[in-house]
Amino acid sequence: MARLVRPFRSRWYHRFSEKYEYDLLVIGGGSGGLACAKEAAQYGKRVAVMDYVKPSPQGSVWGLGGTCVNVGCVPKKLMHHAALLGAGVRDARSYGWDLPAEATVDWSTLASKLRDHVRSLNWGHRVQLQDKHVKYFNLRGSFLDKHSIRGVSSTKEVLLLAENVVLAVGLRPKFPENVPGAVEHGITSDDIFWLQKSPGKSLVVGGGYVALETAGFLRGLGLDTTLMVRSCCLRGFDQEMATLVSTSLREEGVKFLSGCRPQRVQRSQEGRLQVTWQRRQNVSEEEQKDEWDEKEGQEDFDTVMWAVGRQPVTKDLQLEKAGVQTEATTGKVLVGLHDETSCPGVYAIGDVAEGRPELTPVAIKAGRLLAQRLFAGSTTLMDYTNVPTTVFTPLELGSVGLTEEKAVTLLSPDLIEVYHAYYKPLEYSVPNRNSNQCYIKVVCEREGKQRILGIHFLGPNAGEVTQGFALALRCGASYSDLKSTCGIHPTCAEELIKLQITKRSGKDPTVTGC
Amino acid sequence: MRMNRCRSSSKRERQSWLQNGINYWRHRIRGYELALCTDAWNPRLRTGALYRHFSRLYTGYDVLRKVSFKLPEVVRRSLWTIIAVMPLLARAFDLLVLGGGSGGLACARRAAELGARTALIERGPLGGTCVNVGCVPKKDKIEIIPGSASFSDGSKPTVEVNGQQYTASHIVIATGGRPDVPTETEIPGADFGITSDGFFNLEDLPRQAVVVGAGYIAVELAGIFNHLGCKTSLVIRYDEVLRKFDSMISSNCTTELESDGVALLKRSQVCNVSRNSSGRLVVTVVRGNAADHILSDVDCLVWAIGRKPNCQDLNMSKLGISLDSTGHICTDEYQNTNHSGIYALGDVCGKALLTPVAIAAGRKLANRLFGGEANAKLDYKNIPTVVFSHPPIATIGLTEGEAEAKYGQNIKVYRSTFTPLYYAVTEHKRKCVMKLVCANANEQVVGLHMQGMGCDEILQGFAVAIQMGATKANFDATLAIHPTSAEELVTLR
Repeated sequence: MARLVRPFRSRWYHRFSEKYEYDLLVIGGGSGGLACAKEAAQYGKRVAVMDYVKPSPQGSVWGLGGTCVNVGCVPKKLMHHAALLGAGVRDARSYGWDLPAEATVDWSTLASKLRDHVRSLNWGHRVQLQDKHVKYFNLRGSFLDKHSIRGVSSTKEVLLLAENVVLAVGLRPKFPENVPGAVEHGITSDDIFWLQKSPGKSLVVGGGYVALETAGFLRGLGLDTTLMVRSCCLRGFDQEMATLVSTSLREEGVKFLSGCRPQRVQRSQEGRLQVTWQRRQNVSEEEQKDEWDEKEGQEDFDTVMWAVGRQPVTKDLQLEKAGVQTEATTGKVLVGLHDETSCPGVYAIGDVAEGRPELTPVAIKAGRLLAQRLFAGSTTLMDYTNVPTTVFTPLELGSVGLTEEKAVTLLSPDLIEVYHAYYKPLEYSVPNRNSNQCYIKVVCEREGKQRILGIHFLGPNAGEVTQGFALALRCGASYSDLKSTCGIHPTCAEELIKLQITKRSGKDPTVTGC
Repeated sequence: MRMNRCRSSSKRERQSWLQNGINYWRHRIRGYELALCTDAWNPRLRTGALYRHFSRLYTGYDVLRKVSFKLPEVVRRSLWTIIAVMPLLARAFDLLVLGGGSGGLACARRAAELGARTALIERGPLGGTCVNVGCVPKKDKIEIIPGSASFSDGSKPTVEVNGQQYTASHIVIATGGRPDVPTETEIPGADFGITSDGFFNLEDLPRQAVVVGAGYIAVELAGIFNHLGCKTSLVIRYDEVLRKFDSMISSNCTTELESDGVALLKRSQVCNVSRNSSGRLVVTVVRGNAADHILSDVDCLVWAIGRKPNCQDLNMSKLGISLDSTGHICTDEYQNTNHSGIYALGDVCGKALLTPVAIAAGRKLANRLFGGEANAKLDYKNIPTVVFSHPPIATIGLTEGEAEAKYGQNIKVYRSTFTPLYYAVTEHKRKCVMKLVCANANEQVVGLHMQGMGCDEILQGFAVAIQMGATKANFDATLAIHPTSAEELVTLR
């Protein structure tokens, strides 16, 4: 990778001698933006980050770091750990520990600990930017033209001139349309982690991973939790696995309102939230033609959380002044292979870019590679295939590669071999926990060495298990590579290399002994 | 046949007793089967008596008895003759497996699946040391022979169990190992201690325990005792535990044990064990030039100083099978011993004492002998291992030291130390350490070592990739899963 060697020039020299104050201005201080900025700064470039959090309708606001650090991955995982500990306390009695039969969670303690940690991460990011000589502006940015960005806050206004601009503004939760009371009475993932007191009896509306993970940890913390899903759960994931995830949530005690859509939310006489919904009568090919029951369902909740999708908030950016085009339906910024937008010199990475997986590691890597292409002469493009993910429901789902449905569509069913197994984690045996949803599936080509196309693992610690297999998939692993690797005993991960029953054989895939 | 004195005064009875006595002694000497052959034709022994006669020595002939009494006498007696002679004829199989543990069972099952006539000899319950007991191979048509095996004389390698001879074209020794314990002469009072076998039979949690050893068994047991609330001491001969592991692991593990509250007695050895008046143990530990350290009121002493192979009863000197200095059976990479037709695998070989290794070696061997895969062998190079310490250790491939010795300066080491997200809100924090050892210009990953929460589940997938020859570039090209500890491995800089 050739690096452009530039003679050293002081910042003052640049400020007064060159046209642009900054080589790179990153709008958005989240995972992608910060990674891009820090990488560019490494090459001696003049970099600035502009980050601003528009308060949510409920008033939630947070510091530097973006969605992941403040209202996404980090607090979510901590809540998930807290919920699992609750299950662990229940299991501990079976292992002989003298503990109370039921333990309760003090939400305020948990929430304040989470907030403290998030704040320490905000601080850590600011220190890192300072160390790398990246200028940080906590201002709301908007384009005047493609090189001029105005930053405003209630007290301050600046005008920044940058040669290159990277949009990394991410997304914010959607509110449902045509549901009176949705914005006024409901919260979203922007708010759930900042609640001072327990959400109480909760309704989570949505079928994506945000909804399922939230319902999972709320239930795990002992709260009465209901999940309202319009059609299917985890669209885009392997549906066989998604069904098992839903079942595992039901086993945990999450109540499901399947095939329902909310009609309105209003305050009840007791001060709780009264939610009214309609149930779907029958499913049609097109969602718009679904028939909905006239009769409505109704129930009172303490908290209603919307997890019905995420959308870019780019109106304030005034993208049209820079000539940056967005996609008509999603509103996301249209990008090419090199992350370039329709305006030369303006790029977009992370969640806000159309067609990119909405994941932190993807944004981080894209940001770094972009900085390397812009300032270090690199030509490496981001590879968006075989992106591994994990859904952190109480029973976690790790996936990488093709779903079975996708594999069957791309190649015919005759050219695919699916190896699968129901297994029981050893740690479930003593407390006699239900392991009916602990399931593994590996989709391979049928011929030759049987190259692996997709891996799906449902079980404890799925995130930790899946990472190494994602690497193996990247290296072109085949089923024979799995079989020729020694297992690590006793773990759940070894079940992946012990797979031998195919779906085609019709045999019972339950693992028994060695 | 009872050898009591004949009290009868009747001549007929005395004669009968004498005759039986003579026959008894004939039965006791080598070739008693031949004597039985003549007994089969003894006109004084009728069917019922013949049955009683044979059933004392052999079991399972009830069927024959039911069948034979209907047959003509000549046929009946011929049958008994054949039965008498059968033990003389060694029962022949395609494969004889000595030891029904993980390795032996896996080998036997695979061989049986491939069509070999297989017998498995096991003196204890099936399953061996492996936790997953209960693999009953009835459906695999393997003949289980309960008893202790030993090699005996014969032109072909022959194994004897309870007097019955067995031969096979291929004999696999998979008798495993057992904990090593010091003798009373080496350490007075050594017998007051238990081993890892005894650990799992403890009825109560000891209040104070002493574990002796620095290997993974000692580390795991000390960790379990300590975390369950027992005051634990660990006696080690040098300064660190797990000295054969990568230096980062042995140093980190030693530190973690100490910070967990295990009293680590370094450069120490137990020299005496005695019982005090209240029945608890007094353990005397000698430490170099320092004064002896006395641990009193010890409820439990566990020897975890190593494991010895189970082959002293096999009588292997009959066949001149070579052993190494520690008594393990020497094999080549194909599990061949120095005697053609005899193989060994699993713990008895002393290499990579792990269940999946024994299972894999057993299956590879069966594939090679009966599945037509002439080159099938287990690659011992990249065997993933986990130690269930607190937190767990996971390792594969060469240590940094071994890599340096093999590749010289041509190595690059990547390290990471971090606190897993789980500890963000806890008071007690436990860090995770990771090391990637890469060699050659293409930075092929030749070793991966880590200790931290979740490392036991992390390693498996990486083991597949490393076995395939993954390089650092492959690691870097893999996207992370966030937030996990595993992602650190693909984002090392």
